[in-house]
Amino acid sequence: MDGMDIGSKGVVRVVVTGAAGQIGYSLVPLIAGGKMLGPGVKVELRLVEIPPAMGALEGVKMELEDCAFPLLDKVVCTSDAAEAFVDVDICILVGAFPRKAGMERKDLLAKNAAIFKAQGEALNSVASPNVKVVVVGNPANTNALILSTFAPNVPKSNITALTRLDHNRLKAMVALKLDKNVTYVDGAVIWGNHSATQFPDVLNCKVDGISDPIREAVGGEAYLRDELIPKIQKRGAAIIAARGLSSAMSAANAICDHMNDWLHGTGDKYVSMAVFADGSYGISEGIVYSMPVRTMKGGSYEIVQGLTVDAFSQEYMKATEAELRAEREDALSIL
Amino acid sequence: MGQTSRRYSVCLKFPTLTDLMRIRKGILGSGCGGTGGKSEGSATRNEGVETMWGRLTGAMRVLPRQPVALWNGAGMRAMSSFAKKPKVVSVTGAAGAIGYSLVIRIASGEMLGKDQPVILKLIETEPGMKPLKGVMMELQDCAFPLLHGLHGTADLEEGFGDAEHCVLVGARPRGPGMERKDLMTANAAIFETQGKAINKAAAKGVSVLVVGNPANTNSLVLAANAPDVDSSKVMAMMRLDQNRAMGQIAEKTGCLVSDVEKVVIWGNHSNNQYPDIHHATVKGESAMKVINDEAWMKETFIPRVQKRGAEIISARGASSAASAASSAIDHFRDYVYGTGDMWHSIAIPSKGEYNTTPGLWFSLPRKCLGDGKMELVEGLTFNAFGEEMMKKVEKELIEERDAVKHLLP
Repeated sequence: MDGMDIGSKGVVRVVVTGAAGQIGYSLVPLIAGGKMLGPGVKVELRLVEIPPAMGALEGVKMELEDCAFPLLDKVVCTSDAAEAFVDVDICILVGAFPRKAGMERKDLLAKNAAIFKAQGEALNSVASPNVKVVVVGNPANTNALILSTFAPNVPKSNITALTRLDHNRLKAMVALKLDKNVTYVDGAVIWGNHSATQFPDVLNCKVDGISDPIREAVGGEAYLRDELIPKIQKRGAAIIAARGLSSAMSAANAICDHMNDWLHGTGDKYVSMAVFADGSYGISEGIVYSMPVRTMKGGSYEIVQGLTVDAFSQEYMKATEAELRAEREDALSIL
Repeated sequence: MGQTSRRYSVCLKFPTLTDLMRIRKGILGSGCGGTGGKSEGSATRNEGVETMWGRLTGAMRVLPRQPVALWNGAGMRAMSSFAKKPKVVSVTGAAGAIGYSLVIRIASGEMLGKDQPVILKLIETEPGMKPLKGVMMELQDCAFPLLHGLHGTADLEEGFGDAEHCVLVGARPRGPGMERKDLMTANAAIFETQGKAINKAAAKGVSVLVVGNPANTNSLVLAANAPDVDSSKVMAMMRLDQNRAMGQIAEKTGCLVSDVEKVVIWGNHSNNQYPDIHHATVKGESAMKVINDEAWMKETFIPRVQKRGAEIISARGASSAASAASSAIDHFRDYVYGTGDMWHSIAIPSKGEYNTTPGLWFSLPRKCLGDGKMELVEGLTFNAFGEEMMKKVEKELIEERDAVKHLLP
């Protein structure tokens, strides 16, 4: 799998859709400032929005200019995704149809299926096959699946969905519970769908300075079932309840983490990414399922094999798989 | 190092790269003009650092053109966290739009460096405490290794406790029907109480960046109420205007911002600021010569920089939070790490330089030498136009000062 050698490229072209929205506003200064690609790497930002948001998008572009970022080579604003995708290196697909009050899941899937089909077709025709894509807009996993269905020229391994936010949340919660710095927490995994059925898993966690199995150290199965797991699954709603707005800043940070690790390699460690299932851990092909992933320098990755999965894990993993299969059926039946 | 000099100068803006250069000079002794020898300051650091230096140089040898290793989530963050003692950074107005853009970048290490742990103390008014909780939850959800402490409070002394750096974003905005005078006095009250709290609770040697408007006069009020704080460490933020001006020049000349130097913002962070490009250079050449359009400078460039805030509001429907936050990050990063010969416009109390009235927070061009040390850029001259602009903005600062004089201790 060919990756991109960041060091040798002149300017890296990055597309962000939904760029004038909440997540976009938090994200673009991070990318332009070098957080995603690393110091010394110049970036060309292509910001995509729907026509009603183009005025606001111009404002975002102006602010980026006003930041005087040395690494920001150019900013292009457009409502034409196909135009933005030409020869693009990295795609961050934040823009999606939001859930409105009274909307059924099926309706949400339908609206988004149309968007991601169109974007898939555009990617297929103009993007480099080495393009790296992370789908953020929800339902992220299924949107990524649809995108890939209509972009057969892009290897499936180059299309991912974001579960890094959930992963970071899990690490932070374990660290807080065990009163350790997050740096000492390894082996956290998010399995499945970026939704309320995700499975935040600590079974394979290793925490520096703690010799007990982490499941017991945090409080056992009861704690997991009643507190930790639901807390992570519903964290998004908790943030909305407190802030009055959804979690833009931490999502933007997670997007940078996801892409930065994908490009630069995680070494011996692994992170969570929603990728195409390949039979690992009993999850058969056909869905985009968050897995433990180890990335290599240059942009390739592998699903980490051999992690422990027990009956407790299986219960959750199967539940989220079932949801993803149902979403897949709904989405494909529309298209 | 095998990179072009321009890229080198770009990289110098990042503290991580500056540190890397220092490490290379001290340890590898090649390529950057240094000689081999003991790593800088290693005698004063703790044991853990030896491993850090070793592993960093290991990274340098293996990946000479990829200092990106320092940004890698998995490996390098682990070693980068704990060499230095955490610094307390206090932010007011932390649940507002600027605060939201700002705190994530402080906690991630962009402001004070990738090896500097921080303890964030976020201050809000009582009504702001609920959204602040949401912001704190999000900061937790970012899993930042450098965030060694996180507090949220409406109590000023608690919030400023042991602060080494303060970013004062919170201020009273102009409401409908409010005169400029009312704005002055409303904010004077706020910055009076904050000055007193900082005086009492903050760390010795605290540096303060005032962002909330009217920034320059708020700084004056704050300093007057914080007699134990070195007033030359109370700074009104001009960096946003400076960055905006550089962006405009870059766009006009078709260059990158990193090609633009020596732009000066004189005076007040207001519509009467004087963005001055008479000394500026673009790729080393005189900007005035390259642009060769005095009318553009007077009629387009200057008003555009002065009124950029309003332009952003018009386009976005909201004020320029991300760029304001970015400028605050730039300001403190350069203040702490130094940027050699680069000029930065910084407003601290005037001592009469450039014929300005002493005691006004009049922005002047300075070099940042690191650790908060600054050196005024002297000997710059003005033409008639410039003199007029300087007089106008000084007059405004005097009026603002006079509007709050009766409230000062």
